[in-house]
Amino acid sequence: MSYVAKRCGVKFSPPAIVLIYEDADTGKMRQRIMPVRNFSKFSDCSRAAERLKNSLRHSPYLEGVSQEQLERLHTVLRDHLLGRPLLTPRPDPGDEDLNKLEDEELACRKAQMDELFERNRRREEDPDFVYDLEVEFPESDAREPCSWDEDESDDAF
Amino acid sequence: MAGDDGGSLFDFDQATYDADEKVKIICLGDSAVGKSKLMERFLMDGYRPQQLSTYALTLYKYSTTIDGKTVLVDFWDTAGQERFQSMHPSYYHKAHACIMVFDVQRKITYKNLTNWYRELREYRPEIPCIVVANKIDADMKVTQRNFNFAKKQGLPLYYVSAADGTNVVKLFKDAIKLAMSYKQNSSDFMDEVLQELENFELEKKEGTSDKEDDLLQEMDQQLA
Ligand SMILES: Nc1nc2c(ncn2[C@@H]2O[C@H](COP(=O)(O)OP(=O)(O)OP(=O)(O)O)[C@@H](O)[C@H]2O)c(=O)[nH]1
Ligand SMILES: [Mg+2]
Repeated sequence: MSYVAKRCGVKFSPPAIVLIYEDADTGKMRQRIMPVRNFSKFSDCSRAAERLKNSLRHSPYLEGVSQEQLERLHTVLRDHLLGRPLLTPRPDPGDEDLNKLEDEELACRKAQMDELFERNRRREEDPDFVYDLEVEFPESDAREPCSWDEDESDDAF
Repeated sequence: MAGDDGGSLFDFDQATYDADEKVKIICLGDSAVGKSKLMERFLMDGYRPQQLSTYALTLYKYSTTIDGKTVLVDFWDTAGQERFQSMHPSYYHKAHACIMVFDVQRKITYKNLTNWYRELREYRPEIPCIVVANKIDADMKVTQRNFNFAKKQGLPLYYVSAADGTNVVKLFKDAIKLAMSYKQNSSDFMDEVLQELENFELEKKEGTSDKEDDLLQEMDQQLA
């Protein structure tokens, strides 16, 4: 038996990940609802995604779904639990305060960040390496306002 | 320790002695915004800093020449983790410039600039400060956006990437220049008093020639 993932999404109550897939044997489209258990607004989305991806019951259906995508879906669920509106620019863990993490957890987060860091990295031995790389970006008048500045409730300054 | 680098190009004790100027620059910001990666990109591979793990502090000693003068720079690369909060006063102590970093991928690190900045100004009301938007390689679009915090505080804003190197060297060079001009133009009375006290302390405890010891002791005193 094999299943071809087509689309996935979330259901909020009870929290679940929904997968639309094609059953390759029958050629039929089907929907599978995978409840997300023991998940709260404090949960680690990355770990929850990993758990789901490796779960005995669901993993055969999730072969075509990356763990990153599952993580994003969990983040959507978590944002909902936190009462945050959907469609924030990117459903990333940008609001988690890493200053509060223990050493191990922090190291783990940094390891995740390293993936992109290494991909974008220019090294000394690269032929096009420039030590003193300067790039000018448009002057501040030409710039658009940043959505991060919208909720200016803290007028401490 | 810097002196243990084994055949390093530069003998720092001698350099300290000969240097025309010495400045301290602190690097602040939340955990994982890339402070250490920026330092490493500026100084490049092979540089071995002094690590004071108990204080979550990495000290980079750097020397350069500006307008024919030798300038020694102590970069204090600090840790963002909250449990090192009590260390902050010693970070700020006698600093001549500040590099304040946030991660363009994580809003909270931008929002927290307010706290870092408030604290900085409690200890160092006057020193130059540069706001740094790091990790622009992850999303170049952010360079078209205005981050109001810098503007509101009248601080320069640099868009940089420790990964691909964009504007990193410029950032540090400009920071050194700002630190120099601050040092030359400010007659910071408190600094001088503290320096006096420090010399006095050092005279008393002879025999502690170990630099790291001195630094630790200095920090203990500041914490006392
Ligand atoms: N894509 C990208 N990732 C970066 C960049 N700079 C740092 N990172 C990533 O961010 C992670 C954290 O960087 P660090 O330099 O350790 O952060 P820090 O500010 O020193 O953190 P603390 O010392 O814990 O306060 C690194 O492991 C990298 O994966 C950058 O310019 N671009
Ligand atoms: Mg660091």
